[in-house]
Amino acid sequence: MSLHVLRATAGKADKAALPADAGGVQPRAAPLRITPRHAPGGRTGELWAGLHLPGITLEKLHKLAVCAQRFTPRVSLAPPDGLLLEVQGSLHLFAGAAGLRGALRSECRRLQVQPVLAFAPAALAALVAARAGKPLVVMDPAQLTGQLAPLPLASLRWPPDTLARLARMGVRTIGAALRLPRAGFARRVGSEQLAMLDVLTGRTPEARVTFHAPERFRRRRELDCELENQRRLAAALSPLFAELGAFLAARQCAVVEFECRFQHRHVPATRCVVRLAAPASDVRRLAALLSEQLGSLALPEPVRSCELRVEAPVACQPDSHALWQPGEHGGSAGHEAAGLIERLRARLGEDAVHGLTLCAGHRPEKAWARTAPPAAGRRGAPGGGAVVAPAQCRPLWLLPVPQPLRMRAGLPRRRGALRLVSEPERIETGWWDGGEITRDYYTAVDIHGVRLWVFRERTAPHGWYLHGVFG
Amino acid sequence: MDREAKLARLLEHPTIWRGRSAAHQHGLPSGFAALDAYLPGCGWPRTGLIEILVSRFGSGELYLLLPALAALTRAAAARWCVWVAPPLMPFAPALVSQGIVLDRVAVVGGARPLWAFEQVLGSGACDVALAWARWPKSREIRRLQLAAERGRTLGVLFRPRRAVREASAAVLRLSLQPISSGVRITLLKGRGAMRGAVDLLRPSWPV
Repeated sequence: MSLHVLRATAGKADKAALPADAGGVQPRAAPLRITPRHAPGGRTGELWAGLHLPGITLEKLHKLAVCAQRFTPRVSLAPPDGLLLEVQGSLHLFAGAAGLRGALRSECRRLQVQPVLAFAPAALAALVAARAGKPLVVMDPAQLTGQLAPLPLASLRWPPDTLARLARMGVRTIGAALRLPRAGFARRVGSEQLAMLDVLTGRTPEARVTFHAPERFRRRRELDCELENQRRLAAALSPLFAELGAFLAARQCAVVEFECRFQHRHVPATRCVVRLAAPASDVRRLAALLSEQLGSLALPEPVRSCELRVEAPVACQPDSHALWQPGEHGGSAGHEAAGLIERLRARLGEDAVHGLTLCAGHRPEKAWARTAPPAAGRRGAPGGGAVVAPAQCRPLWLLPVPQPLRMRAGLPRRRGALRLVSEPERIETGWWDGGEITRDYYTAVDIHGVRLWVFRERTAPHGWYLHGVFG
Repeated sequence: MDREAKLARLLEHPTIWRGRSAAHQHGLPSGFAALDAYLPGCGWPRTGLIEILVSRFGSGELYLLLPALAALTRAAAARWCVWVAPPLMPFAPALVSQGIVLDRVAVVGGARPLWAFEQVLGSGACDVALAWARWPKSREIRRLQLAAERGRTLGVLFRPRRAVREASAAVLRLSLQPISSGVRITLLKGRGAMRGAVDLLRPSWPV
């Protein structure tokens, strides 16, 4: 009973909703006619240029892909040594395939690579022909299979044992492989290889990932009058930072390094590079960092125009903020730490902030090292990792170089006689790397009650040295 | 009812304000029982600037702080412990053997120690910051104190003992003097503090 009621209301609701949804268009209008983009028989209406570039580096391949975007927006990488361009739409702009081939060749010559170029209606076919060293130009999809037939199977880059098995059967060319029965081929060689043959001949279309050139930000601003005052320069840069903020927000990107260039009338431009401890997208923070650096920048001449550049923005997710302030109810420091490091580095120099770590070794000078400043969230094992602290007592302060002490009657003096209050600790090591030390360390107390760490050399002059202060 | 009970009852009146109630209640245990009993709030303050005046570098001023530093760096959500412009390089093996976690320690060098100290205190990225300064002006000390409150940080400033007579905006001022059996600590300024001095003797000293 209730089911009937439900159905009835549902039906009514549908009917009531339809005209409103359609927005005045009659629901029973003529069905949408879809023009098939892929004509039957695998004709895709595409023409792919395949480039085989033996021995190219990945960096050069990316460079070439960026250059190739002047021919077509559909550029696809086939690493390690292939590049594919869909050129059907741009053929007439370059006077056909021959003209395009010339233009592509000169583009490759500029990067000092020697390409093999082939044109085919299927992407993989063009690439395979280029790999085989055949500069084919196949415009008609009907001729594709015939043209591919004499090419060697090895240019498909199948696993070597598959190729060896096929070669034992007498199948060495693509044509021979295509003549084999499909079911048996899939069972004996693999369905993956069969699918690849279908893509090769255009039976099934192939979806290729389009290459996108990495984005960069470059904006320039001509100043109304020449400026020399750093504070006014920072103010003049603020519209550029606003643009950068919009750029970063639209792409959900962050900055790790940015550069500001100031053009002058006579001398070359002044560059000011700011590096950040962690990716940041807050432009107010970036602007504050830049004005810190501007304070210490010496400008040779007044500035005529300024330019803001971000060469490689990195993708980032906006982070969530903590409920508690740092230090409140045990809240820990998150991005404050990175901000602090950047501010200190911008004013005091790159090596102004560092952390400490232990090193394995008995020589006091080599028992510790500087490291990068501690990361905000990271927590290692207490004690700085695998190295354990020595059991003997060590001073809190270490002199960078041991300081020679004056002597009287074989005992050290420093603003008065020193009193040795501990047993000697002998450190005798380092003979293997030339930094050999042979010393007897003592704790000493001077006349003011300050505890010092001194040592006596065991070699000939037997001098006394001050090496640490207990604090 | 005797006189003392009467006096205590009178002092419970809500309109009467006593200096001792201004002391912060939950101090950071210093690790020395005698010092805890002596300091207002039963330990170091958790926020604000404290000054330690020493007659000579290395009189034991750093050992006074080490147990508190070790406790702070070992806490679950520990922030940094920053050393600003130390006169010598802190020796990492000694810090580790005193229980300090080196992962939380950063050293800031450079030409402008007071500016760096103010940045460190106000950033909120640190639990504690130590600095050594020769002649800071009283206006600068006030700025440091405000920065420490803003960043909820304990700032420790080591100064020579000649500055005893100067006015200072610090929350707590201590003077340190080595004596034959240990070290004598005199409290110069503190909210709700007692007068007098306390001696920490050598046996309780970790050296």
